[in-house]
Amino acid sequence: MGMFSESVDVACTPDGLPRSLVWSGRTYDICAEPLRWYERRQWWAEESRVPLGSGPGMVDHEIWRVQVLPRMSPGRPSGMESQPIEPLTLDLTRHNRSGKWRLLRIHDALRPRTA
Amino acid sequence: MSFTHLHVSTAFSAHYGVSWPEELAQAAADDGASALACTDRDGLYGTIKHLKACMAAGLDPIVGVDLAVLDDDGDRRTDVAGRVVVLAKGHNNGVGYRALCRLISDAHSRTSGKAGGTVPVAVTRAELASRTLDPQTLKPVLVVLIGPDSDVGRAMGGRRYLRPRTLFKQWLDTMPTGTVVAEIVSQLSAPGSPLSTAHAVRMLRLAEEHRVPAVLTNAVRYCGADGAPTADVLDSARTLKSLPELAGEPLLQPTGQGWLKTSGHMRRLAQEIISAAGYGAADLTQLLAQTEALADACRIDPTSDMGWKQPVVPEASIIGIDQDPAMELVQRCHAGIARRFPGITGTAEQAMLTRLEHELRIIRNLNFSSYFLTVAEVSRMIQDMGVRAAARGSGASSLVNYLIDVSQVNPLQHDLIFERFLSQDRATLPDIDIDVESAERHNVYRKIFERFGAERVTLMSMQNGYRARGAVRDAGLALGMDGDEVGEIAKQLWRFSAGKFREALQEKPELRDFAGRVEQRDTDGNQQLDLLVDLTERLDRLPRHISMHPCGVILGDATLLDRTPVQPSGLGLPMSQFDKHDMDPMGMLKLDVLGVRMQSAMAFAVREIIRIHPSKGDVVAAGHHAPGPEGAGPDYIAANGRIDLNAVPLDDEATFELIRSTHTLGCFQIESPGQRELIGKMAPREFNDLIIDISLFRPGPMKSDMVRPFLEHRHGFAPEVYPHPDLKPVLAETHGVTVFHEQILKTFDVMTHCGLARADEFRRALGNENREPAVEEFFRKAARAEGYAPEVVDKVWGTLKAFGSFGFCKAHGAAFAVPTYQSAWLKTHHPEAFLAGLWEHDPGMYPKRLLVAEARRLGIPILPLDINRSKDEYRVERILSGADSGKLGIRLSLKGIYGLTATELKRIVAGQPFDSLADLRSRSRISKPSIKRLAQLGAFDSLHREAGGTANRADLVQHLQQLQVSGSRKGTDVLEGQLSFPLGDIELRNVKPGLPQPTLVETVRAELDLMAVDVSTHLMDSHRPVLERLGVTTADKLLGLRNGTEVLVAGVRVATQTPPMRGGRRVVFISIDDGTGCIDSVFFHEAQESAGPLLFGTRMLLIRGTTRRTGPRGISLSASMAWDLSRPETLPFPASETPFQDVAHPLDGIARSLAITGFNG
Repeated sequence: MGMFSESVDVACTPDGLPRSLVWSGRTYDICAEPLRWYERRQWWAEESRVPLGSGPGMVDHEIWRVQVLPRMSPGRPSGMESQPIEPLTLDLTRHNRSGKWRLLRIHDALRPRTA
Repeated sequence: MSFTHLHVSTAFSAHYGVSWPEELAQAAADDGASALACTDRDGLYGTIKHLKACMAAGLDPIVGVDLAVLDDDGDRRTDVAGRVVVLAKGHNNGVGYRALCRLISDAHSRTSGKAGGTVPVAVTRAELASRTLDPQTLKPVLVVLIGPDSDVGRAMGGRRYLRPRTLFKQWLDTMPTGTVVAEIVSQLSAPGSPLSTAHAVRMLRLAEEHRVPAVLTNAVRYCGADGAPTADVLDSARTLKSLPELAGEPLLQPTGQGWLKTSGHMRRLAQEIISAAGYGAADLTQLLAQTEALADACRIDPTSDMGWKQPVVPEASIIGIDQDPAMELVQRCHAGIARRFPGITGTAEQAMLTRLEHELRIIRNLNFSSYFLTVAEVSRMIQDMGVRAAARGSGASSLVNYLIDVSQVNPLQHDLIFERFLSQDRATLPDIDIDVESAERHNVYRKIFERFGAERVTLMSMQNGYRARGAVRDAGLALGMDGDEVGEIAKQLWRFSAGKFREALQEKPELRDFAGRVEQRDTDGNQQLDLLVDLTERLDRLPRHISMHPCGVILGDATLLDRTPVQPSGLGLPMSQFDKHDMDPMGMLKLDVLGVRMQSAMAFAVREIIRIHPSKGDVVAAGHHAPGPEGAGPDYIAANGRIDLNAVPLDDEATFELIRSTHTLGCFQIESPGQRELIGKMAPREFNDLIIDISLFRPGPMKSDMVRPFLEHRHGFAPEVYPHPDLKPVLAETHGVTVFHEQILKTFDVMTHCGLARADEFRRALGNENREPAVEEFFRKAARAEGYAPEVVDKVWGTLKAFGSFGFCKAHGAAFAVPTYQSAWLKTHHPEAFLAGLWEHDPGMYPKRLLVAEARRLGIPILPLDINRSKDEYRVERILSGADSGKLGIRLSLKGIYGLTATELKRIVAGQPFDSLADLRSRSRISKPSIKRLAQLGAFDSLHREAGGTANRADLVQHLQQLQVSGSRKGTDVLEGQLSFPLGDIELRNVKPGLPQPTLVETVRAELDLMAVDVSTHLMDSHRPVLERLGVTTADKLLGLRNGTEVLVAGVRVATQTPPMRGGRRVVFISIDDGTGCIDSVFFHEAQESAGPLLFGTRMLLIRGTTRRTGPRGISLSASMAWDLSRPETLPFPASETPFQDVAHPLDGIARSLAITGFNG
């Protein structure tokens, strides 16, 4: 499992569930129901202010574990489909106040793949 | 569909919950809920506030508790096996609520009530089971929620599937059918950790498997997600561990999701759990439906279930009456007439009887006769104990109270209005407060329990909330900051609410340094101080713990303990979990039995007077009392010399002369610097002046500038002005200024004929944003209808509006003025006995050492500690030889010497006199350090002299020191009797001389260190040479100076006050004592700026200021600058002076501050 913190762009369903994401210029689709939980933050070390009314997201942040598959581009050679691609499991977090998404963890070891 | 939260901790779950009941109820109502639970930890601390909040928000209240359960398999006294929520079922005429109260009392019954007790607040499962059914019908009246914090929930971790099932099964086996539900909670923590959806799923399956209903809650700790960091800080304060430590364990809440989620959120949460469990839509509906069904079963009817607003008083039989209480009260009042109004006739009698009939009618209509009889019974019981007691407060407005001996104030004489106390329009039980001797208060409490029965009595509690100092300490602890550093910061926080910390940083000069450090975070990267400020503000006002209220005793009938849970107080007596705000809603009769140290001091003085002057003649001579009707002295002195203070006439000229002199240190209510200034300006001539004085010296009148016009009119500097001639009778006694509530009532009544009862309702509405406009409308309309001109109406309304909300009740003032006068009377006529009483009971605001200085000023000899003459209390003693021969002096007490234990003290007093040190050692068995301390204080000097030794006190201390070192091994103590040969005098005689006599400074230092009192000489004396070089003026010379003279003064701090002032700007009063008297200085804004941290941080001050004459006999100082006397290098010596050389001073090296300066700055 690798640890990352990289910015990703995530598109959500109207219910607020992630649907697809763009990571390093590539688009991925979520292929299974995402799992969601919250993890604590050490806010006393990370924040410089916690005035009343700071709102949510001070103590915890939201983690989404998603399984994704790269989206097939229409122009891609069709021969690839015979070789199934294994989904990647990613942990994403959404910064509560800015709404920005970051990639936290990749669970499957990165394997070099030929495109 | 709405969702009902069944598990909610309010802020009254001390060190746990974050949000106030009002916020929670409002949020629930805004979300469309129709009910809301309050399940505070360990008790019903927030329940009544919750009821009130729910009623205001249009919700049905649900009440319950979050309670620890003892481990059946562990040590049943200390091992807790988790927590459960217990809810009371409602609409069953209170059987559910009663069971809940009793259960909570069970949980507390084994605790000690003292801080740091090892027994947890918890119930056994058997106790819980036995309370869940109504003993009459055997129907379930309590419901137990087995949730994530129960033993079942806690066993969910890991892969132990069997353990939770076994534990759950145990619950089902022990609890009656229909009393258990499973509580499903997910706070969305990481899969597999506590409060995760995975655990919720396992609990849900367990419920399914055993066919037990499951309900969804969110185990709420805060209203919105914003409260989560506060909850972290509270966890830290509760566990006394810093956040980094807690995070490591990990003991912090796993997420910040424990907020009062909306019904939409809760529904989605339910969906998530149901879908994770692999269940379907029907299960989702069922989970939510079961939650609502339980909520419905637990809706409480405040009236029928909890007795909302229904006053309950002890049964008539308990107060010893067998007839209609109303009849009984009438008879007792009439019986009191002859005693209180001997020989009253004619119109006076008619007026009195009319008033009596008026009061009795209202009391009868309100059905409060039993209440008055109960209070009379308590009052009589206290007096029978021989304890001084006096009613205070608005109860003094009642003629009935006067006639049945509850009050000592004649309301007719002082023109007090009954309606201010009680009226037809006020259906709440009135407050009657009884002041008793503080030293007897606990005995009085015990006697009340005895008299009424433990099932009818409990003490009231009070909530102690975070204030600035405590908040900053706990915030610092949470952040893991250095304790000393936080302590230093806490020291500077002085009288402002924690919630305004950041604002205070901008404004308060003494916080300047700290504010600078907070600002600097950017440069050195330290963000902690900024966080510290935010967290401190977050803790503001949150309840920390409950404690015994200083005076409230709740009296009820035999059902009292069905209506309030109780827990042991520090005193051992049971204490209700309800505070004063809960009394009226719960219809509880609260009696304020307040311990007043001054009452003890005065009782002590009266006993000392008899002891020293055992006959009427002696007392009359010693006190210079008037010869009285037959020349044998006044009637209020009995033949044996006992003075009946309550019978002393209130017009003694010598007493008023003392009051006007402003030398009122030690006198009740009029000894503070501000009061001495007011007394000096006002120059009271009669008792009514004292009532006015006490009423004026209140935040309201001081703030709203009522004092200045009053004084101007009083002294005739400005003509009295009345808005209308009709109001002259109402306002004449205060020269046209509205001071008393009673005057507000009469003003309303005179100008609108609304009647006094309505007038009091109007008065209560003044200052209330919502209710005041209606009062204004009525007043304007009705007064205009009575023909008052618009400008008169305008002017009067302006006065009512401005002063009405904080004027003072004259009855309070009158009740207070009695002990004020009595204490001044004692100080005037028997100062030695009075001062001994003050030293013994320490009633005032000043450190005891100032009263010692006062004795010195009055020329009363202070007799040193003496092992054979000092007792366990201060004693007046006739001096038989020496320069003061024939005078009365005060002998120091052995009590309060640092390190001397109560047992040692008892043995010494029981063993007196001792003929030698050996005799003392063998009979009193006091420790070596204690003997050495006694020697340092000179307690053996007379014994030493009698033994004929040539050594001095220093030699003796050294001798004892060496003994202490050589003989410190245990087991070398002499056998009983071995040293009881009369050899001890030999020991003293043979102490080797050689050391120089201790200097006066060293002696005083020992006195300050061990007794916090400078006896041998004033502690400022060693500073005298320096002060003379600085050109300092002493207190006794100040009065001779012209107004506006610039002076330097110096002394030790004796009082520090920041009373609220006009315009809201803070004013700091600092009083110092220089040995010739007290100097009161006032620091206005600019002086505070220049004095900065010295304002609150120093014990000895040099102050520059200008004199302000406050009256014919009063002078104070307007300060411009201050210095710390203990830092001589900073003092403003004239430039020509040679460099300063410091000498030893008594306070050098002494750390105690509070006892010496009265201030813990």
